[in-house]
This record gives sequence, structure tokens and C-alpha cells, in this order.
Amino acid sequence: MIAGEFEFFAPPTLADALRLLHEHGSGCKLLAGGMTLVPVMTLGLAQPGAVVSLNHLQGLDGIEDIGHALRLGAMTRHATVGQHPLVLQHAPLLAAAARGIGDVQVRHRGTLGGSLAHAEPAADYLCATATLGARYLLQKQGSERWLGAAEFFVDVMTTALEPDELLTAVEIPKQAAGAGYSHLSLRRVEGAFPIVLASAQIAPGYAQARVGLGGVGPRPVVLDVGDVVQGGLTPAALDALGARAYDAAQQALSDLNGSGDYRREMARVYARRALAAAAAQLPTGGR
Amino acid sequence: MAFIGKGVPAQNSAALVAGAGLYTGDVKLDRMTHAHVVRSPYAAARILSIDASAALALPGVVAVITGDDLRAKGYAMPVEGFGEGVKPKPFDLYPLAVDRVRFAGEGVAAVIAEDPYTAKQASLLVDVEYEDTDPVVDAERGLAPDSPLVEPDWGSNVLFEARMTSGNAAQIIADAAHTVGGELHHHRYTGAAMEPRAYVGDYDPYRKTLTFWASTQCPHPMRTLLGQTLHLPENNIRVIQPNVGGAFGLKIPYFQEEALIAALSLACGRPVRWIAERREDLLTGGHAREGHFRWQAAYEPDGHVTALKVRYVADVGAPSALAGWGQCYVTGFALPTCYKIRDTDVEVIAVTTNKCAWNAYRGFGKESSSWLMDRVMDAVAQETRLDRTAVRLRNFIQPDEFPYAQNGGAIIDSGDYPKALKRVLEMIDYANFPTLQATARAQGRYIGLGLGQELTPEGCSIAGTARFNGWDGATVRIGPSGEVTVLTGVTSPGTGNETALAQIAADQLGIDLQYVKVIQGDTSICPYGLGNFSSRGVIMGGSAVHIAAGELREKLFKVAGRLLEVSPGDLECEDGKIMLKGAPFRYVDTRDVVTKIYSDCHGAAACGVEPGLEATRYFRHENVYHQPETQGRYSAYPSWANQATALIAEIDPDTGVIKILRYCAVHDSGKIINPLTAEGNVHGGTAQGIGGALYEHLVYDDYGQLTTTTFMDYTLPTAMEIPHIELEHQETLSPFSPLGAKGVGESGITSPLGALCGAVEDALREFDVRIDRLPLSPERVWRAIQSQGGRT
Amino acid sequence: MKALVKLKVNGRSYEVAVDTRAKLAEMIRDDLRLTGTHIGCGTGSCGACTVLLNGQTVKSCCVLAADANGQEVTTIEGMSKPGELSPLQQCFVDHHGLQCGYCTPGMVLSAHQLLQDNPSPTEDDIRHAIAGNLCRCTGYQNIVKSIRAASET
Repeated sequence: MIAGEFEFFAPPTLADALRLLHEHGSGCKLLAGGMTLVPVMTLGLAQPGAVVSLNHLQGLDGIEDIGHALRLGAMTRHATVGQHPLVLQHAPLLAAAARGIGDVQVRHRGTLGGSLAHAEPAADYLCATATLGARYLLQKQGSERWLGAAEFFVDVMTTALEPDELLTAVEIPKQAAGAGYSHLSLRRVEGAFPIVLASAQIAPGYAQARVGLGGVGPRPVVLDVGDVVQGGLTPAALDALGARAYDAAQQALSDLNGSGDYRREMARVYARRALAAAAAQLPTGGR
Repeated sequence: MAFIGKGVPAQNSAALVAGAGLYTGDVKLDRMTHAHVVRSPYAAARILSIDASAALALPGVVAVITGDDLRAKGYAMPVEGFGEGVKPKPFDLYPLAVDRVRFAGEGVAAVIAEDPYTAKQASLLVDVEYEDTDPVVDAERGLAPDSPLVEPDWGSNVLFEARMTSGNAAQIIADAAHTVGGELHHHRYTGAAMEPRAYVGDYDPYRKTLTFWASTQCPHPMRTLLGQTLHLPENNIRVIQPNVGGAFGLKIPYFQEEALIAALSLACGRPVRWIAERREDLLTGGHAREGHFRWQAAYEPDGHVTALKVRYVADVGAPSALAGWGQCYVTGFALPTCYKIRDTDVEVIAVTTNKCAWNAYRGFGKESSSWLMDRVMDAVAQETRLDRTAVRLRNFIQPDEFPYAQNGGAIIDSGDYPKALKRVLEMIDYANFPTLQATARAQGRYIGLGLGQELTPEGCSIAGTARFNGWDGATVRIGPSGEVTVLTGVTSPGTGNETALAQIAADQLGIDLQYVKVIQGDTSICPYGLGNFSSRGVIMGGSAVHIAAGELREKLFKVAGRLLEVSPGDLECEDGKIMLKGAPFRYVDTRDVVTKIYSDCHGAAACGVEPGLEATRYFRHENVYHQPETQGRYSAYPSWANQATALIAEIDPDTGVIKILRYCAVHDSGKIINPLTAEGNVHGGTAQGIGGALYEHLVYDDYGQLTTTTFMDYTLPTAMEIPHIELEHQETLSPFSPLGAKGVGESGITSPLGALCGAVEDALREFDVRIDRLPLSPERVWRAIQSQGGRT
Repeated sequence: MKALVKLKVNGRSYEVAVDTRAKLAEMIRDDLRLTGTHIGCGTGSCGACTVLLNGQTVKSCCVLAADANGQEVTTIEGMSKPGELSPLQQCFVDHHGLQCGYCTPGMVLSAHQLLQDNPSPTEDDIRHAIAGNLCRCTGYQNIVKSIRAASET
């Protein structure tokens, strides 16, 4: 049960929402899917004076093909991301990440923008979108800006969003033709928050390969590993990849689900597995 | 048609599947207020002051009550022991903390308001000043002479201790050529029913009567305890247990909130509703299992275990009126479970700590005994290089040795352990497993097979307690239209025992099940009974129904005998008819006999029997011993279900993740009244056992703060984690109950513990992993692999 | 603070003044007195509060009642006519897919969603589909059996 009183707003347009943000600033919370905010308010971990729902305005939930990339509205629900023909075709890694979030009910309601703006380090979308080289659109009254993952994700549950800014869209570069991908996560039970995550993309030829890691530090880590694996996924290459992942996970936290040590080792394991799974999709099936 | 033994759907299912159940939180009364409890953030602290002025100023707040207010009214909560000589040291307990708090989450004040949001909001405005003190958060450290004390008057943190010896274990171990030993750490977890606790108290200040709805397992004992606490005559109290959304022992009284909500209603003269939030329920709803075993066994090269010595230190949490701490006593009492080991020395120490108190959790300590024995048998097998099943078979109590007087005083009624074990080995194709394992290993996969042997004493009957006695009552009535009503003192939190009771009545009376209705859970309607726990619904409640219905059957036969001009002893009944044995064409309709009794009591057929068709009878289980001075033993458990389990699990050596590939079990609870509901219970118990072994952990930090207060942290298994359970039944009847039933409610929860430990060790033999600690989290298993030859 | 919520529940229109703090689950239960929707955790984990929101299953303890303005909700009470059981519900009864009944309404809603999306699910599909619905009584086995039986009728 929520104890702290608040004013509830359901703006019908984006402009209205931005105006409310401008007026209330950090005194208000944005409500998207609610799968994070409502539990947080129930537990008393946040007690905003105002809640602005994004569920009643048009235009934030479309998926567009803009040529070199897909543009997804921030209010696109996980279920849509996971099954949309455009995403399946051009950004299957993102679809795979979406399909693994929570459970059926969570996926019907939770949103791309909500998850990204919350920036819980072990969230599937953080790892997946960063690996994909996403750009994030931040809008406020009168202006907008695009940021890459490195600038957008600042710290644990902290993004570059200012109190009066709204994340309205995410641009995902289309996957190269013939590329392989994977998105893997280690969870205690189905639907639980991941302990570690790894996303991987690899182009035919192996020279372009990327592994993203989640849950291993305050921000998603993306490793360009073409140099390590361009000669093929030999045991030595995989060992080197694992070592690089282990080193990149130095800031992994300890919590109930695992110690920092364990997370670092799992970063090693999952980086290897993710890249191997991605490579297995290539026409050559892995050299 | 006979109904006993048939898997008929549970009577309540149709209403529940349509969402038409009535749970305590669904109750809405006129002028009902809502309560929210202010809880201590500290595990141990003195309460210096409570300032409710800001809370009272909030519009909609009706009252704020503190522990001092309740103490001033004399609302001390009675604290029962757990049998003769099995009692905690004395302490004062009120429905809210007074003077000091004993665990983080204990209530220190309560707000009543017109709506639940205001109640919670106001609770945050109650200003409590504490002086926190060092809490006791670890049982072993709690035993140290310089440890802080949970109860200053006790002089130590020992709530209770016992030594149970049989023969001369210490000497045998000292002299033995072969011994093996180890430690086991059981962690803290709980049942987490989907319905959190809830109570609605409705005190009528004019009639001075209290109606109390409760998500509970024991309405009558609750009534007795409330009457004692609030100084209300018991016949002015009505406790109603509506549908309950799961209980598993954790809703056995007596919680502080139970007395509190009733007291709040008395204070304001209006109905008061309290529904626990999940965080509150995890914090205060009763915990279990946490303890540390040190054990040593002597054995012979042929696998025969000759002696066992155990020291068990249990972290039972803060002093409370819950009976959960008794579980550690039962752990000791149940040893050495299924096995013949005459020389045992078991020391049990219940240490009080500043954590939530234990409450009964399915298994009630017996799960720990069986887990320990599984580990002992596996260790002896390891040392002797004998097969694990051979060691068990070597040490089992044999089928022809029952009733068997076990060391702790129990008489184990019946069982055939070898048969169950052999059958489960067939089911899992044990003979072929080494090949399967080797093939997997060649593919880089690690699979292992583990065994779990459950012995589950049921029907808990404790001397000198209001709650745990070995009897129950039933009223059976046949109305003028021939319909049957059963009023029972046992209750159901979803187990289906009401259906079994209906089946029993239907068979006794030969009346079709559709005409039998069971009413339970209302103290103004049902005869005094003790509710449900320890699987007593069928063994106690069902037996009482059997006897009461039997009395009516006799009366019906007397009248039918007159109508048919035969001796009542030559009659039987089925399908609504009373007929001559061997000559079913000579019959009368049961309904006609009923009509004679109701409307022709001076006529020839019915004038020889007392009018009316109602019988109230009570059943007392005979296999209980509470008079040690004359009977030579003390035993609280009359019936002994058992189960043999074998499972195959795969371990991912890189991550430590465990996946159960196959799960087979042969279960024996004596006569099964309803196989559908019986199996459902075993499935549920199995899932909880797996959850406890692998996924669930209540974690306290060094300050006595519970860090796992949501289902995001206390992770329950989903449908993806629980495997398909291949279950078969064996029915070795109990000679001590009229129907031969033993109770199914706690079956299944125990064997996953030993079986998973065994499977992990079996899968990881090349790493020489030994399991001595639960839960088997991925990291724990992974670390054991990394430190080859390491313990988890 | 209050908000006026106009919505349709089980095909019937309602207008309710709710505390902005109220969850959809709480409004359904306390204001509309449809108590078949249950609250097991209040934080979106257990799924006992599952309802259909605009035709899709959601956990109603994570939806603010005020946010349901203008929406359509179906609860367990809307899954069959009074006094009758749907074929899916009958399968749960026949195969003992429930015991205490607390998780059951949410479970039925999730099963309903599954069978709409995937009329011939495998056992793995079924278990996946109900992974957001926790049950402590059944060990899931008879629930899976009930849903499989429903998919075959």
C-alpha cells in the first residue's frame, strides 16, 4: 500500500507532459509501466508529491524504420519489442532481451523507456541497447538532445536525464546483414533480476565483434573484441575474451544474489558463452 | 459406490476457481476501521517514548494504541510450553512491545484509521524514541558467556535445552574402529503462503461479544487464547476461519497481531481490519529451520551404523507465544528416523536471538532430522565405498519390526522402507544411472543422482497445551430429507481435508457424496477442535467423523433391521440403500429410514431408538504416550508417514546452477482417502522443499535487520524451477487409526534436502565437493568446485 | 487526494472516486467489491492480482487505480457467468489445479492469456506462461495438467 499522498496527472500530449516536468521538476515521478515505480512507492522508497502518467498520451509507443536504424518510442512495451516484425528483423538482440524481462504480465506493461530511465545496472535493456550502440533521445520543453550509452548511463540508477527531461525515444542501429547475436542472463529463478548479463553481436568475418556486460558495475560495459576473436573462436581467443570481461567487471557489486568475485567470474563465463552463441549463428557456424 | 480411495475433486474448488472464495481480507463490515502497526526498526532496543500527537492530528485517524496501554489493561499473552518439561524460560509478552523490543519488526504501536492509506500514513508519523542495544544475531555467538542477552532475566540466551540419550553412544564412538562426522548448517526460511496474515476483529460493546475473522489454522484454540488474554468469557467470542490462502503451519496461533487486533476492536468499539503487507509477513510471520548440527557416527565396514552423536544448536528467534521453537525439540526426538541405531546421544539447544520467532513450518523439525540422516548415510557410504542404497537398506527398521519403539520414545506405527526405496530405484532406473552419468560426462556435462529418505511423524499431540492435542471432534447430522451435514473441529487452509471428511461420512452412511456437506472453521457452529496442523485433518478429524457417522449408522441399521425383519448386524449400506449383506435385493431406501426416525418416533420401526439423527463424538489417538511414569515412554506422534525419493540433477560447473532433470518418489501415508488431494499435497511439499534447498533464504545482517523483505529478494520457485514429479504410493496402514491413514500434509518437503545434497556431491565427485550447508545457491556450489576438495 | 476514475470492468461501466494512492487491485477489491482478485505481495512479484487490462494480463498491484481511467478491465469474475464455470475453470477443478485458491484467479487469467496467444502450448510453453504466478500449494504440476487439458478440449 502506498502511504505518501501525491497529485496524479495523466497528460494527453507530450507537450503537456513536458510542461508538468518543467513545473514539478524533481518533485514528480514519471509513471510508465509502473512495474518499478509502483513497487518502489509501495515500499516507501520514494514519496513523490506528484506522479505524471505517460500512459494516456499518443505518439510515444511507435516503432519506425528510419533507414539505418529503428526508432522505438520510449513507451513501447516489452511484449511489443519482443515480437514486432521490425525488431525481429533488424534488432533481434533487442527482441531477445525484451523477451527475457520478468514474466508475461510484466512484459505487457513494462516499457523500454521506463527500464532505461531507471537504469538498474542489471536490467536487460541496459546491456542490450548499449551493445547495439543505441542513441537515446532526451526531451524537455523547448529542446532535445541525443546521447550515446556512455553519456546516458552515469551511475547506479542514475542517467543523464535532468529533472525536467523525458526519455522519449531510442534509436537502435540495424544489425548488419548475416550477423549473429545473443543475449544471455544468469538469474536465481525465472523472472528474477539478473545476476549478470551478456549481449553479443558478431559480424561475418569475425573482425567486428562486441560483447556487452550488465550487472558487473554501475553502468553497462561494452567491449569491442574483434581484435581478440578475428582469428576465430579458438580456446586461446575465448580465454582472452574472458579475461577482458573479467577485467571490465572490476566494479561488480556484492549483494544477496552473489558476491563481486562471483559476478566477475560470471562475466568471464557469460562473455564467452554469449559470443560463442552469437558466432554459432553465422553462416560459417564458427570457425 | 464407495468414496474412500477415490480422487474426487475438492468440494471448495468450484467457488475458489471462480474467485468466489471468502478470505479474511475480503470481509467488509459497516464502520470498519483499518489498522496499521508501527514496527521497531531495531532488533534490540529500549523504548524510551512514543509520541502519537502528529499521527492523531491526521484527519481520519481514530486512535493510536501503545504497548503500555495494553499492559495497563492486563492483556498479557499466555505462553504455552511444548509438553511436560519442554517449556521456554518465563517472559512477559503483550500484543505490542513494552519497555523494549525483541526483534526488528516487532510492533510498538498501532494506528486505527477510517481508511487503510491514512492508517499507514499515520503510522509513519508516530514518533518513537529508542535506545538501541547490541542484538544477538547468531546462535553460536549467543552462547558465548559475554554475549548480550535477549532476555536479561534469563542469564543466558538458552530458551530451552534437552539431552536425549539411548544406550551408550559416546563410548561406542570412542571405542569404534571407524567413525565419520561432519557439520550441517540449515538456513533460515519460511512458508510464505500467498495470502498474508489478516484479521478482522468486531467487538460489540453492548453485547460484549467479539467476532474475530482470522487467516488461521486453529479457530477454537485461538478463541481460548483470546479469551484468556482479553479477559472475555470464551462463550462471548466467535472465531471464524473463512477460506485461508495457504498456511503450512505458519498460521498456528498465537501471534501478537491476533491479540492486538482483537484488543483494538475492544478499545474503539468498532470493527478493525488488519491485512499484513508482504514485507510485514516476511518480517514477523514466523521463521524456521535455522540451525547448526555437529554429528559423529560409528560404523562397521559392512555399513552398519552402530552409534550416533549429535549436537544441534537452533537459532529460534525471539521469545514469543508461537510454538515454533518446539521444532528443534522434535528434530532431536525424531532421530534416528527410519533407522535402527540403538545408541544415540542427541543434544538440542534452542538459542533465542533478536530475530523473528520460529513458527511451525511444514516439517516441524522432522525435515532436519531426515536431512541429517541422509547425510550420515551418504557419508558412511562414502567411507565404506558401499552403495548408498545398500547402506540405507542395511540400517532400516525392517517391515516386520513394527510397531517399533524408537529411541526418543515414539512408537513408529508401521512402514516398509525397503520396499519403497527399491521401487523408487526402479522408477529412476538406478541400475543404469552410471552409464547415463558417464555418457554425460563425456559430453562435458555433470549429472548426479541423490537419495532422500523421509520419515514424517504426524498427528502432533503435546501434553499440557491448548493447541496441540491428540484429539478432535465432529458432529454428524442427517436431516429429514436425508442430507448429511458434518461439523468438524479440523480446518483446511486448502489441503482438501473437508472433502476427505465428506468421503468418510458418505461411506459410513452409504449416502452419495453429493448429499454430504462439511462445515468447518466457525467456533459457534463446530464442536471444539484443534484445527489443522501436523497433518491431523484426516487422522484426527476424519476419525472423529468416522466414529460419529458410525453412531448414526448404528441407529439407522437398528430401524432398518426392524423394517426388514433382520438383525442390524447383517446389514450394510451403499448408494442410498441399507441392504442385507449378500442379498442386496432385500433393502430399504435410507431416506425412508430417516423419515421413520423423524416422523414416526412412536411407530414400530423407530420406537426402539432415541429420536433425532445427530451424533457428536471425539476421537483420541491411541498411539500417544503422555504418562511416562506408568507407560515408560513419552511420545507425541502417533503416525509415521514416510517417503523414498531419488532425483537426478545437472550441475553447470561454470556457474554452479543446479537443474533437476528427474524427480521420483514413493510415498507412504497409509490409507489414502483421496488420491487427488493427497498427491496435490505431496507436490506442494516437494516444491517447498526444493525452494528451501535451492532458492529461499531469509538473510539477517549483523545488526539484526532482515534484508530479504520482498519476493524480489526472497525468491520463491516458479513453474520453471519445479520439475515434473513422478509419484507413486504405497499404503502401509497404520494399525492405530480406524481408517489406517497417517496424514499427508507434511510429506514431500523433506527429501529434497538430502537428495539435492547427494546429487550435487555425486555429480561433482571429481572435484571432491562435500555439501554441509544450504541453500545450494549457484555461488556456493561454484565456490566448492573452485576450491577442489572444498566444502560449500 | 482523490481522482475520478471511469472505467469498464467485466463489461460494466463504473465511476469511482479513489484515493490517488490506491492501486487498481485495491479499487477492484474495496470499491467495486470484486474480491476474487487477490493481493499476495503488493510489489508485482506473485501475480495473484493478475487481471486483463485492455485484453492483456497485467499485475494490478502495479497499476494505479487513477491510471486505469478510460480503460477496460476483466477480472476473474468476468471469466464466467455467475454460478457457472468456463471450460478452463472446469479443467482446474477436475485436475485439482488449485488448493487454497489464493493464486488461482491470477493463474486462470494467465492461462486464459496463454490459450489465446498459443492454443496448442507445450509443457514448457505452459510453465513459461505462468512463471509470473507464484503458487505455494500445488507445486504447479496439476496447474500445468489443468491448462494442458483445457488446451485439448
